[in-house]
Amino acid sequence: MDSEAEFSSFFDWLTRRDRARELSVLMPLILGAAAAASAATPDTEDPDAGNPERRTPRERIVLIDPFSQRVAVIEGGSDLDSLLQGLGGKDGQPPASKASIDAMPSVEIGEADGGSECAICLEQFEVDGVAKEMPCNHRFHGGCIEQWLTLHGSCPVCRFTMPVEEEEVVKKSEERGGEGRRVDGEIRVRVFVHNRRRASEGPDQASDEDTMQS
Amino acid sequence: MVDFARVQKELQECSRDIERSGIKVIPKSEATLARLIGTIPGPVGTPYEGGTFQIDIALPDAYPFEPPKMQFTTKVWHPNISSQSGAICLDILKDQWSPALTLKTALLSVQALLSAPQPDDPQDAVVAQQYLKDYQTFVGTARYWTETFAKKSSLGIVEKVQKLVEMGFPEAQARSTLEAAGGDENLALEKLCSG
Ligand SMILES: [Zn+2]
Ligand SMILES: [Zn+2]
Repeated sequence: MDSEAEFSSFFDWLTRRDRARELSVLMPLILGAAAAASAATPDTEDPDAGNPERRTPRERIVLIDPFSQRVAVIEGGSDLDSLLQGLGGKDGQPPASKASIDAMPSVEIGEADGGSECAICLEQFEVDGVAKEMPCNHRFHGGCIEQWLTLHGSCPVCRFTMPVEEEEVVKKSEERGGEGRRVDGEIRVRVFVHNRRRASEGPDQASDEDTMQS
Repeated sequence: MVDFARVQKELQECSRDIERSGIKVIPKSEATLARLIGTIPGPVGTPYEGGTFQIDIALPDAYPFEPPKMQFTTKVWHPNISSQSGAICLDILKDQWSPALTLKTALLSVQALLSAPQPDDPQDAVVAQQYLKDYQTFVGTARYWTETFAKKSSLGIVEKVQKLVEMGFPEAQARSTLEAAGGDENLALEKLCSG
């Protein structure tokens, strides 16, 4: 396999995503999805060898967890879509944009609000304390709502949706455009452990799914 | 780390409201609040009426930012619940979770699911097929399962069959008639006598 090209294009993608914070949130998710797929897929030597009908080029995605230095390679077809949807589409609303989170006004909790509680931690607001107010007017503790919105950009109470990052939109439309090409039904996942000495990602280094469990 | 302060509040609120909602949530052991057992009464006017259903609850570390994992431990015949594993197909326990939901509201949603099956989005394909193609049989089987697995106080199905066998009916016939009668032993007896 052409792993060098694979890696350079992956690193392109990686460097384009400048927010490492978000990446660290995504990676365990990606690895989790990979673990699930790996468990469900019978381990075959080389699926292409036994199937001469297969002509479409295989989709292949390389994922890296920069912190634990684990690498996952996902190869496959139509099911990749559903696998990746787990990162934003099927897995609920994508995160709110940082700008929209920062733009939420802080409001003071007055006597009139006494007794009302933050729907996330279920603690009552302190009178004379501050809360963050979403565009739908629902109020939460700043820490509580920010933690939620960086996972899913919707109001916990009324599901009002916050703006998402530009690149999320781009990614979505790219996914949609690519759908037609993916006809292959098989998914194959390989996980590699990055060697500290050098980045060797040959199949010999492939290890089983145990490596993925964090 | 699970927000245990919140879980504690939820448990208190749930036990305050138990008379009205019928929903019970208790820790599985004293060791942790991350593993719980939920109990919901079968909704009135459904094949689950009269049954008490137990649901195993596991809270992920990120709770309440991630949904609780819920699974029936009481066997139940329903298109959106696996008849094998008890796994539940319900959007709010997956991608539609919100941290404003609680264990109680999630269990209320599961209870609502018992009232309103969604066979188009099945968890158990066999049950969903039966629900769509042969609704009467579905109701009979669901009721039979409720009688057999969700009613601890009443006689188990084995005992009921035994009772009918003792009255002189062949076991296979007693069992199938009982099944068709949704576990109602009196109705089964009537059928056996008239048939
Ligand atoms: Zn809060
Ligand atoms: Zn709202």
